[in-house]
Amino acid sequence: MARTATTSDVFNAVGEAQRREILEYLANGERSVNDLVELTGARQPQMSKHLKVLKEVGLVSVRGDKQQRLYRLNAEAIKPIHDWSKSFERLWMKRLDRLDDYLQILQKGAAKNDRKKKG
Amino acid sequence: VTNERKQELVLERTFNAPRDLVFKVWTDPEHLAKWWGPEGFTTTVETLELRPGGNLLLTMNAANGLIIPTKGVFQEIVQNEKLVFTTSSFEDERGNAQLEVLNTVTLTEENGRTKLTLHALVLKSTPAVAGSLAGMKEGWNSSLDRLSKTVSNLKGK
Repeated sequence: MARTATTSDVFNAVGEAQRREILEYLANGERSVNDLVELTGARQPQMSKHLKVLKEVGLVSVRGDKQQRLYRLNAEAIKPIHDWSKSFERLWMKRLDRLDDYLQILQKGAAKNDRKKKG
Repeated sequence: VTNERKQELVLERTFNAPRDLVFKVWTDPEHLAKWWGPEGFTTTVETLELRPGGNLLLTMNAANGLIIPTKGVFQEIVQNEKLVFTTSSFEDERGNAQLEVLNTVTLTEENGRTKLTLHALVLKSTPAVAGSLAGMKEGWNSSLDRLSKTVSNLKGK
């Protein structure tokens, strides 16, 4: 299955409790499959399946050879999830904040600068 | 958004801008792309057909290559006063949107300022989206806190 990961894939990936647990462990550093099996109590085939899913959607990266494969969290990929996971309300509040900022910029005639405000 | 809570949102905001300008930045593709967001994404407005039944297509592009498309259809347009449109996001592999929302934006002018009321009603959210959102909210708070440390490091690059 060599298709591009979509957002819904990412949501599906983190929708599963054990996969979230794996991400938690990886947030603390690189882990081998064996480490993760030990930490989570999952069975090896199940763990491999979870890691495959997480890798396919870009949430984890892997390095090393067949003997010792090390998985790590791809924090860059977590960020959009983190943003989206904030409630619907927060999403809209932030959007209206940006609209407010944008309207101010427009009215100051500074739109050309296209200045991005970091929040 | 938890499963128990009514999936409906009403927000009010007053902008220090005339109503026609607020309406314009909602309906002009170039303007809309500038503020739609979310933070950290570059939004492209691919299609914006401002008429009942007209299509809306936004793509939000993250720096890491993640693309979030949102499709919509305009239901009602009252110049400078009201916009009603649906948005559908998070398509599965068969192209079925997992989240559908009916958005109503109402603008009223008050002494040169504009009061915006947003009413967003979730029409559909599949278990995959509802589950992951609810799961994250209820069961993932602590790990998200930890993860957000990593994330905020990235943000402050």
